[in-house]
Amino acid sequence: MRKVLLILVLCTAMLSAQEKPGESRFLLRGYAHSGVEVRGDETTFVGGSFNPIFLWRQSDKLLFEAELEVEYENGETLIGLEYANMSYIINDYATLRLGKFLLPFGTFAAKLHPAWINRLSSKPLGFGHDGVGPARDLGVELRGGIPLGEAKMTYSVYMINGPALNDGTNPNVEPEEAGMLLYDLGEDNNNNKAIGGRVSFLPLSNSSMEIGFSGLYGKVGSVESKYEDVAALLYAVDFSYVSKVSFLSGVVDIKAQLNGVRVDDASYFNVEDSSNYSFSNQSSAYYVQMSYRPVNMSTDFLNSLEFVGRYSELSFPEGALWTSDQTQYAFGLNYWVDWRTVVKLSYQFADTGAHESEGEEGEASNDAIFLHWAFGF
Amino acid sequence: MKVKHVKLFLVSVSLFFGALFLASCTPSQAQASKPGALLWGENCVRCHNAPSPSAFSDSQWEVVGKHMRIRASLTADEVDKIVEFLKMAN
Repeated sequence: MRKVLLILVLCTAMLSAQEKPGESRFLLRGYAHSGVEVRGDETTFVGGSFNPIFLWRQSDKLLFEAELEVEYENGETLIGLEYANMSYIINDYATLRLGKFLLPFGTFAAKLHPAWINRLSSKPLGFGHDGVGPARDLGVELRGGIPLGEAKMTYSVYMINGPALNDGTNPNVEPEEAGMLLYDLGEDNNNNKAIGGRVSFLPLSNSSMEIGFSGLYGKVGSVESKYEDVAALLYAVDFSYVSKVSFLSGVVDIKAQLNGVRVDDASYFNVEDSSNYSFSNQSSAYYVQMSYRPVNMSTDFLNSLEFVGRYSELSFPEGALWTSDQTQYAFGLNYWVDWRTVVKLSYQFADTGAHESEGEEGEASNDAIFLHWAFGF
Repeated sequence: MKVKHVKLFLVSVSLFFGALFLASCTPSQAQASKPGALLWGENCVRCHNAPSPSAFSDSQWEVVGKHMRIRASLTADEVDKIVEFLKMAN
């Protein structure tokens, strides 16, 4: 009898020991999306991608986060590392991050791009993988939020490997795109580290409005090349306003961001006529987006709807072989199944300006209809 | 040598005013007394819909809170109140 009691006590003790929470916590989060797209005469299912996010709370001050992007494209499964970094909370207003992280260069790449957060199925012009401005990089960052009476501000300063200049001499990178910046390459092409930061102000007491300013500066040319002193200045301005509007019985969400890139003048090899040429190397992209969700209507169906409109514009340098001026309009109707699950129906059309004036033929249709579903988990 | 002194002086002045600025950075009484439910409604929707408290367990909310504190640059006080509210309401 004593042995049985002892075993029972031991089992109970072991079970209760397992139930004790401990300091460490692991959490798998992420998001997934898929859908169907109609472009011209082509209709195809796309996506089938998911992004698992691994969160490990080592202690009250240490957190590890990593995100993978798993995509199915052209019959292949592609896996990419979006970010993997460790954060150490120094005090109430400062956190140190090391590793590969999403850059606070504006807000779209850092906060708004996940499929269940982005109100439309596509990204604005210039805000995708080959866009104007970086999305992620390797380095070290100090960031935090600071109360200012009724208002608030956030800040971030970081040092990263930085973008690299495509000088046209690497046969593995498009030589006709000489002068373009390449982002997220992993290893640095020189010993100079790029310095950047973002500061934002939330002037209203309910934090409904945020205005942010970002900058990044560094040398971008490869070491021991004639471009080693070529530097680039990148900047961004972002705006956000989210508020309930009583006379509309709903929530209005306005987002906007302008990205700009200025690269020092340099001479590049022209692959089309074997001459050297230069141009004023300035690119920019911006978008303005507005959505409205009638959350205070009489039926759940109406409360779950959301209307979205977005305008975006992209401009690559005039005189470059990769010059381009594009504009895009996108409109969408979303249905929110719950707070993190959405079905998005959208239509977009683009004007590729410069290309059309050059009389290019065989261009894919710029009009597209998307029906996507996305959920966060 | 002179330039070095000027740089040193400028850095010292910047640090002094930076420290003064940080020391004066406090929330107003109205901000400091905001409950977790209000902060949850105000801060989450800046990027995404406000999460349902029942979406995660208490211990999971602690990880989510830590993650959002870093990603959204929330203050410690804001996150503590939001997480407490979510744990209470789930």
